[in-house]
Amino acid sequence: MSERIEALQEIVERNQVWPVMAAKYGVENPVPPWKTSLDGLCDALDRAACNENIPSFKERRDEEDVLSATVYSNLPYPENQLVSLAHSLVARGIIDEKELKQRLESIRERLEA
Amino acid sequence: MTDHAHDHERTVKPMVDEITDFEVLEIALRELCIEKGIFTAEEHRRFTEFAEQIGPTPAARLVAKAWLDPEFKKLALAEPMTASEEVGVDWMEPTGFGTPSDFTAFQILADTPTVHNVIVCALCSCYPRPILGNSPEWYRTPNYRRRMVRWPRQVLAEFGLYLPDEISIHVQDSNQKHRFMVMPMRPEGTDGWNEDQLAEIVTRDCLIGVALPKAGVTTNVITDTRPAIHPGTAG
Repeated sequence: MSERIEALQEIVERNQVWPVMAAKYGVENPVPPWKTSLDGLCDALDRAACNENIPSFKERRDEEDVLSATVYSNLPYPENQLVSLAHSLVARGIIDEKELKQRLESIRERLEA
Repeated sequence: MTDHAHDHERTVKPMVDEITDFEVLEIALRELCIEKGIFTAEEHRRFTEFAEQIGPTPAARLVAKAWLDPEFKKLALAEPMTASEEVGVDWMEPTGFGTPSDFTAFQILADTPTVHNVIVCALCSCYPRPILGNSPEWYRTPNYRRRMVRWPRQVLAEFGLYLPDEISIHVQDSNQKHRFMVMPMRPEGTDGWNEDQLAEIVTRDCLIGVALPKAGVTTNVITDTRPAIHPGTAG
């Protein structure tokens, strides 16, 4: 679980965390706009947790705690929650790392079009 | 641009004009989960709408009502789910069974002159989300979770809450089947206040139990999160 995942490591290094972005653009919202969607994602996953290999609520939170304190200890909350979740899903083989990398690129292209 | 006041009010607030990696990552995880059939877009939308509308306002309102109406206080303690409905919270939302991590066994813990209640989830971060919104960051940290159950007076003091020894502290550990919130006592200096005025001083921190309501205080303590340190090894 603690092995580094390259695609996520790149995200950590670019450091577009909310406190930095909010300060850069003079925005006051305490949390990034994607936070409620992440909450929805976690709830939807918890509901699906009976399926094979999907982490249960407790497993998801335990992994988040461990990863937030180690591999992602430089990230603030909720970025550490998001990246830890991505790490769990890749480490468990639910999402393939290559597939994730490709999807990150195609979504960015879509959003920037 | 005109100098009319209504135009001025419509000025758009600043926005982050840049697509961040984190925003892209959240979309990617969601899309891949949906494509793999782990959940549907509709399920995700329903849970996200739920996350958008929750906050601590109904819980504050419930406490203010209980302070003003002894009958409502009795109801809140005996039938907390029914009392929640009176402040607009249905614990069965959004699925008919609550959210997957918010079980529908809910209890309100009333402080007395000799007992102070505080909630924690030692195991993970269970929290009465439907009525109190999302938990603050510090509530989720192992530092708070592990230390509150062992050294509650010390941890409360870190929030600026110093309780005299004659007040016992009751730490209530939440779990996946039970959720709790604290009903603090009405503070001095609030005689004649109406429900809105009282609700304003019932902050999220008071409902968790790391602060006591006080006339004039309407904001939460800002607490830095930090790693767990055992008092015996600190320094």
